[in-house]
Amino acid sequence: MNATLTLSAWGALFSRDVRAFLRSRSQLGSSLLFPLMLLALLGIGVSDGLDPSSLRNGDYTTYLVPGIMVMTALFSSTFSSASFYQDRDSGMLKVLLVSPHTAVSILIGKALGGIAIGSIQALAILAIASAIPAIDLEWQYGIVLSVLLAVATVVLLNLLLSGLAQVLASRIRTMQGFHLIMNVVLFPLLFLSGAFFPLSELPTWLQALALADPLSYAVDLLQLALYADGSADNIGLIPDFAVLGALAAALLVLGARRPPLME
Amino acid sequence: MAQAPYAVDVSNVTVSYGERRALDGVSLSIPHSSVFGLLGPNGSGKSTLLSLVAGLRTPDEGQVLVLGRPPLPDVRRQTGVVFQESCLDPLMTLRETLALHGKLFGLGGDTLRSRIEALLGRFGLAERGNEAVRTLSGGLRRRLELARALLPEPKLLLLDEPSTGLDPDSRRALWEHLRATRAAGVTLLLATNDVLEAERECDTVAFLSRGRLVAQGTPSDLKHGLRRDAVLLECNDGSAAVISKAIADWPGVGTVVAAGQTLHVTVDDVSSFVPRLFQAGADGVRAIRMEPSTLEDAYFEVAGAPLRGDEEEPAS
Repeated sequence: MNATLTLSAWGALFSRDVRAFLRSRSQLGSSLLFPLMLLALLGIGVSDGLDPSSLRNGDYTTYLVPGIMVMTALFSSTFSSASFYQDRDSGMLKVLLVSPHTAVSILIGKALGGIAIGSIQALAILAIASAIPAIDLEWQYGIVLSVLLAVATVVLLNLLLSGLAQVLASRIRTMQGFHLIMNVVLFPLLFLSGAFFPLSELPTWLQALALADPLSYAVDLLQLALYADGSADNIGLIPDFAVLGALAAALLVLGARRPPLME
Repeated sequence: MAQAPYAVDVSNVTVSYGERRALDGVSLSIPHSSVFGLLGPNGSGKSTLLSLVAGLRTPDEGQVLVLGRPPLPDVRRQTGVVFQESCLDPLMTLRETLALHGKLFGLGGDTLRSRIEALLGRFGLAERGNEAVRTLSGGLRRRLELARALLPEPKLLLLDEPSTGLDPDSRRALWEHLRATRAAGVTLLLATNDVLEAERECDTVAFLSRGRLVAQGTPSDLKHGLRRDAVLLECNDGSAAVISKAIADWPGVGTVVAAGQTLHVTVDDVSSFVPRLFQAGADGVRAIRMEPSTLEDAYFEVAGAPLRGDEEEPAS
């Protein structure tokens, strides 16, 4: 009797979760898409691009610094955006929305915290990396200007990510769906950005895809700030700032225009 | 600036969720410093109406004026809201919760600090001010939410089922605070399906049924002219359900509401109901008492449906 009851409970719980998974189109799609993209992008990138001769100074640890900064901002932004869902589920979002502020103003206020945390964490990585003797940062524009450039890049990147998170959060009902979409969008973008391997050695079609990846411009800016004499392989300061700035502005406007999902 | 004639003025408001009308041509006016109750079963449109007055949504048709103006952000500065469900960040302390709310309403410095301490003291929360909200009981959370709503010293307080889920002591304490708030000149608009609460505390009650306002008046006006009599049947253990089922379809019987082994029954004519009850064999009935009519009886009379139950209002 007890065993039957337990099996019945297991069956009910199992089918409930499976049904929920199958009903969530975002979860269903991204759970397959993500590993396949990982296989394709990371596999090709590491196979074709990770030759020590193609890395500056031949030092992979130094090479990774800008990419790790971008990745840190990315993760931080994703975690911060989850607070939107926590506020919605705890009812706090309703309390905020009946305060004497517009919904846009509340969303901006909530985004500021995430932007600050993401920026500080990414810059903390830079500070730690610069203190490690084995990591050879060359500060192309002198240390002060280069650090300012890194700060500007990281803040701009976090603005962009915050805008993207708002756009997704106003369209995706569950936190699980939000995290999956963030993963399925952001991880491939990260792998394609030059964060983990140089883009110059990649097949042409992957290089073209990398140019369509906004994170490539953030990685490029940080490489310009932290390395020296890499201009031949870099996209350039002005196009980097133009793309990041335009995308951040567009996503923030798009995210603010749509009211947040209340339920 | 001259005071608006009403604290809340709702004119011919309609709200639809897809095919279903949550509010259908509702109009009502709430005088300043009064207590106005929206009474109706779950899904009748009470919460939707409150969300319009709070400025959380706009009507598809019609107009909502709060203190003479649409409930845009600057007007919301004078409105406090206590939602039906607990709306607190469980990780924040009580003082942090109030401080955040005060800052959202433009308070700061000594004014904010002194108001926080005064409210924590008034609501008996001072000693727990630095504890996380998650440690509070349901009753204490309700007190904190009321304190939060009162922090900006609003002129209008919106309360959605304020005493739902509270034990009798917490309910009594809550209403002591609300009466004091009303005495300070604040207008209270509450959505409830608690008949006794509405009858005891409200100056005016509006009955909502399926998104329509079906009656409005003082509790005594609404009960006045009821054509039904109310009878209490005290039943022996286990008999209430059987008797309830047996009499529900009798001609002349209106509502039959069970509370434990007591049945509250409305009938067209008590002088014919009681003999019929005995003819049918009232073995399970221990005592019969005439009962003053309640707002629940009045609701059934005008809405043609019981106050208890669900009308499937979409989440607001």
